[in-house]
Amino acid sequence: MKVKAWLGLGITVTALLGAAFAPWLSAHDPLAADFAAFLKPPGTAGHPLGTDQLGRDLLARVLHGARLALFIGACTVLITAVVGGLLGLLAGFFERWPSTVLMRIADVQLSFPFILLALTINAIVGLGLRNIIISLSAAGWVIYARVVRGEVLSVKQRDFVQAAAALGVGRGRLLFRHVLPNVAPSIIVVASLQFSQFIVAEAAISFLGFGVQPPTPAWGSMLSESRDFLYIAWWLAAFPGAALALTALGVNLLGDWLRDTLDPKLRV
Amino acid sequence: MRGYVLSRLAQTVLVVFLSLTAVFAMVRLSGDPVTLFMPMDIQAKDINEFRERLGFNDPIAVQYARFIGGAVRGDFGESLRYKQDALGLVLERLPATLLLAGTALALTFAVAVPLGVLSAVRRDGPFDHIATVTTVLGQAVPGFWLGLMLIYVFAVQLRWLPTGGIGTAAHLIMPSIVLAAFYSARVARLTRSAVLDILNEEYILTARAKGLAERRVIGKHTLRNSAIPIVTLAGLEAGQLLGGAVITETIFAWPGLGRLTVQALLNRDFPVVLAAVSLTSIIYTLMNLVVDLLYGWLDPRVRVRA
Repeated sequence: MKVKAWLGLGITVTALLGAAFAPWLSAHDPLAADFAAFLKPPGTAGHPLGTDQLGRDLLARVLHGARLALFIGACTVLITAVVGGLLGLLAGFFERWPSTVLMRIADVQLSFPFILLALTINAIVGLGLRNIIISLSAAGWVIYARVVRGEVLSVKQRDFVQAAAALGVGRGRLLFRHVLPNVAPSIIVVASLQFSQFIVAEAAISFLGFGVQPPTPAWGSMLSESRDFLYIAWWLAAFPGAALALTALGVNLLGDWLRDTLDPKLRV
Repeated sequence: MRGYVLSRLAQTVLVVFLSLTAVFAMVRLSGDPVTLFMPMDIQAKDINEFRERLGFNDPIAVQYARFIGGAVRGDFGESLRYKQDALGLVLERLPATLLLAGTALALTFAVAVPLGVLSAVRRDGPFDHIATVTTVLGQAVPGFWLGLMLIYVFAVQLRWLPTGGIGTAAHLIMPSIVLAAFYSARVARLTRSAVLDILNEEYILTARAKGLAERRVIGKHTLRNSAIPIVTLAGLEAGQLLGGAVITETIFAWPGLGRLTVQALLNRDFPVVLAAVSLTSIIYTLMNLVVDLLYGWLDPRVRVRA
């Protein structure tokens, strides 16, 4: 268990550092075409991972792709955790109709496979970075609402909450001082497990031609472009995908570890 | 049991109805439908004609009633691109998707369940460690990348398998492996934890204490009892195969529902989008219903709670 957690931490920190120091780790501009040096294989002088069909440096593009992926993942996780968590908190606390309405909405959302829902929303709201974040958030908040609502329903029955209520503590204080801290671990665990799902979903949607558009160096759209060159340039498909898989792996391992330490009973 | 079935059926009908409403709202309320439905290079003078012909000038309530009324009769309108009945087009593609998803499902149960059981029985042994690493990797590797890499190795380099399309059994191999990969990893992990839960039960201790052979303890007492959570969780997850099919079918040019949905979204062929998304949602909801009913049948406690 320890090994997995450290491995996860190592990979995640590497991805973060790669993203943060992208301009320093590769001297090239990820958007600068160089037609004299197109489709160079990995190991070419000055281009450790080779170049793409327009002669753009692949290492620079993969590193800038990490920036984009982590940024989208972080924004989406934050938005869904806050919105879904808050709605779940309110629904669980006040029960009655807000709870019913929320659970019906959740049922409806869960009657679509996640990726199809995010894809359809994205096709409707439009392409680009901001819209992919909106689409993923709109499709992804439900899981927090469900988990948090369930937790709140049980925490609410606990003696210390009942005691605080009996002492005349106000609803707002009760909710945020007594209930919220006790459901926070679940929110953190769900968030960490959702993070990789979001970056993979973003890549998948960009891969399908929606989401982030070329020439912006997103892993998904890079993989999509690589399909035309699969016969002659394997590295265009191999490296962005490997970066995506490794990042997802690292974050998943961290998430597993968080769940095992904070909330072993939670099944997500 | 009858009351349980009826209440679940009623719930399902409600969810399907609300899902159709959600699909309609997503497509219709998110802006001017002409910009969604029409090709980007449309002439201004044609727009109003299209509006009139497709009924966008009517009040929203009328349009909604028309959509629901049509959907109930299986009429989602005509594909803007193929000039064919949208639902007909979608239904034509359904068998290919069912074949792919069915194969992936069979593959998953053949591989992932034994893997999970063995992992749990030999907990912390070398097999368990290898299996755990494999499933963790399986959950992290995105299907579309796995697909590209398989195509590169088995189609481009080795030339053993076709790069895509449908036809022979060889065409089915890579797409079903890719579709099954993520799902198998989930199911293997769920199976492992379900079996471990049962192994901690006191009746397993009793079975061992009374001297039953380990084979019987595992084969009869453990597996039968862990079947319920495995079937339920795997069933609930199976719906995600329909989502996975969207991507897998696109990579392997598999002419199924998922690829049609992506193409319809790219072509802004919204009658087809409406039909495809609605059908997917209905199938998904029905699968959940079947799993729930199965669960209620396997475990009477569920019926009482519901």
